Amino acid sequence: MKIKLTSILVDDQDKALRFYTEVLGFETKHDIPMGEFRWITVISPEGRDDLELALEPNANPAAKAFQKAMFEQGIPVASFESSDLRAEADRLQRAGVVFTKPPTQAGPVLIAVFVDTCGNLLQLHQQT
Amino acid sequence: MRLDDDLRRRLSLARDLLEREHADTSLGQVARQAGVSPHHFIRLFEAAFGATPHRYRTGVRLARARRLLARGAPVTEVCLELGFSSLGSFSALFSRYVGEPPSRYQRRIRASVQVPADLARHFFPGCLSLLGALPRGAFRNFQEA
Repeated sequence: MKIKLTSILVDDQDKALRFYTEVLGFETKHDIPMGEFRWITVISPEGRDDLELALEPNANPAAKAFQKAMFEQGIPVASFESSDLRAEADRLQRAGVVFTKPPTQAGPVLIAVFVDTCGNLLQLHQQT
Repeated sequence: MRLDDDLRRRLSLARDLLEREHADTSLGQVARQAGVSPHHFIRLFEAAFGATPHRYRTGVRLARARRLLARGAPVTEVCLELGFSSLGSFSALFSRYVGEPPSRYQRRIRASVQVPADLARHFFPGCLSLLGALPRGAFRNFQEA
């Protein structure tokens, strides 16, 4: 078996697609209407095009509770790898992204944590 | 911009306050209750949650409206349930945010997916539970059942 798809809960799919593509720089792979919601996945232009991230609505109250608790506790829901974290963090900051943790050395990795505006904290990491 | 732990928790609290149904508290009151400076509240909230507090609150109300409409609730009932003063203002706001009026939204969604208003909560043994939960006309005649 393979790991092919993972997902992030978002509070608004339109807003999420804008942030994940226009700000983070991912590309839309699928955007299919599904009744009230949409099946949206994005891929990274720097990574494999068959490894997708779904932007899933947090409509289920359990999903909402989980998302809020993680945000309030300051725990990122995903971590993306960067080959030049400091430059990436600078670029995001200039684009108006809010950081909760600036680039920080944590043992063998450099990490930074920022807000995705859809209810989550995301982490960047770089092997150093 | 940096968002430290304390400010992140305060903004989360403000978001919870904004999500409460029938909230008619002013944004200034929400900011004060959450302990965020009212002067910076709009800017900070937008940076953290991608929408101004006003827009966020409207979005939450309209998400609820969409859910009720998808379940088949009449437009007038949804309008009253959400505390709008007139059908006109509800329809106009809904159209502006969703891109189509509530009645058309409901027809479109109901045609593509059926969201049950309420799942049957009664338990009957076997065949009877099927008869109870299936819609009328699911079987063409009694013999098939």
